[in-house]
Amino acid sequence: MDKNEVQQRVVKVICQVLSVDEEMVKPDSHFVFDLGAESTQSVELVAAFEGEFDIDMDEDAALEVQTVGNAVDFITKCLK
Amino acid sequence: MSENHKPYPLVDTTEPNLLEDTFNYSLPPLIRFDGPVVEYIDGRPVEFDPAALKTRDIVITDTTFRDGQQARPPYTVDQMVRIYDLLAKLGGPNGVIRQTEFFLYTANDRKTLDRCRELGHKFPECTGWIQAVKGDFRLVKEAKLKESGMLTSCSDYHIFHKLKFKSRKACMDSYCEVVDAAFEAGVRLRCHLEDVTRADIDGFVLPFVERLMRMSEQVPEELSVKIRMCDTMGFGVSFPGVELPRSIPKLIYKFNREVGVPGDRLEWHGHNDFHKVHANGAAAWLYGCDAVNATLFGFGERTGNPPLEGAIFEYIALKGELCGINTEVITELAEYMRSIGLPIPDNYPFVGKAFNTTRAGIHAGGLRNDERIYNIFDTTELLGRPPRVALTDKSGADGVALWVNDFFGLKGDQRLSKFKMHKVARWVNDQYEKHGRMTAISDEELEQQVKELMPEYWEKYKGG
Repeated sequence: MDKNEVQQRVVKVICQVLSVDEEMVKPDSHFVFDLGAESTQSVELVAAFEGEFDIDMDEDAALEVQTVGNAVDFITKCLK
Repeated sequence: MSENHKPYPLVDTTEPNLLEDTFNYSLPPLIRFDGPVVEYIDGRPVEFDPAALKTRDIVITDTTFRDGQQARPPYTVDQMVRIYDLLAKLGGPNGVIRQTEFFLYTANDRKTLDRCRELGHKFPECTGWIQAVKGDFRLVKEAKLKESGMLTSCSDYHIFHKLKFKSRKACMDSYCEVVDAAFEAGVRLRCHLEDVTRADIDGFVLPFVERLMRMSEQVPEELSVKIRMCDTMGFGVSFPGVELPRSIPKLIYKFNREVGVPGDRLEWHGHNDFHKVHANGAAAWLYGCDAVNATLFGFGERTGNPPLEGAIFEYIALKGELCGINTEVITELAEYMRSIGLPIPDNYPFVGKAFNTTRAGIHAGGLRNDERIYNIFDTTELLGRPPRVALTDKSGADGVALWVNDFFGLKGDQRLSKFKMHKVARWVNDQYEKHGRMTAISDEELEQQVKELMPEYWEKYKGG
């Protein structure tokens, strides 16, 4: 899966879980400060990424990811 | 800046120093001393050697069936026999719980004593409790006890206003008559100096105890009088510099070194009216009194006595080893006491339902990383009680993860990440955010949610 496809699917998941419009979601958007993810939503978001991409993410490393762009990179790396 | 200022440069390290000589986790944190303890007595410094605690035969004596029973409806005979049996198991073969005392006044009291002795335990040794009248002394002889406590109230509140003696001398003579009778009958007496922390120490207490010591010189060692210092109203104070009669260090010093009561014939009996009861008992050990009198879970007259289970952990902390104590029996005793109607608050140390339960999410996160962060010692090993989390609005996904993994019995790499239980975390969150819940979530509710929201894991770990 190329990075572009990963990005599209990441944005789709973010919009579903955080109930935000697609235009709000930019590569440098911060999950907490820009997209309003509170604690439980952050966990739900990672769980949704795991489901979407059929991967298991390291707990501590996944929660250190703070922006959309970092999430795309992180997931792309996981898929390799 | 003060002239005592001393620089403390940071000692940087990449390896944690967990101070494991003291906090080794397999035992309660040890109490280690780095020098003598000093108290000024009659204007001069006196040293007490805390290192001696390691070798002194300090013990716990129990009064669950006497003072403990004064705080509640009577136990049945079967209940007392069961508790006695568990006390023996808890204290172990070295007799850390050395003695326990029984009322002798009713047929049930005497039947209980007989049944406890029939169990054949060496420890705790059964002793009696009587008031200072010769008629009561007959009960001790009939019960064939080697030792009995005897109430010898010693403050003027008691001597004049309760017992109505005309003078202190009349009171002392009366007490000593019963002591003489005990000697003649071959029974050892333990004089309970009731209200000693509110008594005239120089004017009555020390003259009385000195007389008891002189009388004891005339009888074989095994009959020599023991002294129980009864802090009846909880007025005793453990820290240095306090004046008599409230000073525990000074009281023990006066008995021990001025009128010659050896440490093994001294006992401290406290009450918790000022929340000092446990620390006062430990201080008594430190300053030279070998026995601390306690009750299970601190139950006793009014505010209670030193909690026996607290004394057990203090004992291990001072000795640095278990000394034959079976600490898991504390949990068994608590379960038994609850089953017979004794209320134990949830936050009560060592045995309360929530004593090692954390509620805050950040604490749960710490527990998840390393249980030592928020657990006092290895409570799984010593009490059969793993650390737990109770879920509230403060628990977060970390709390849910800890609860679920413990529920499934998963450890180490087996543990599920919190992402696998996000639906349960959402349910917990919504209880408070959406439904305005004000109470903690019960284990039963969580179990139901895990079953519904994590069916694949339920099937894997609980199914079949």
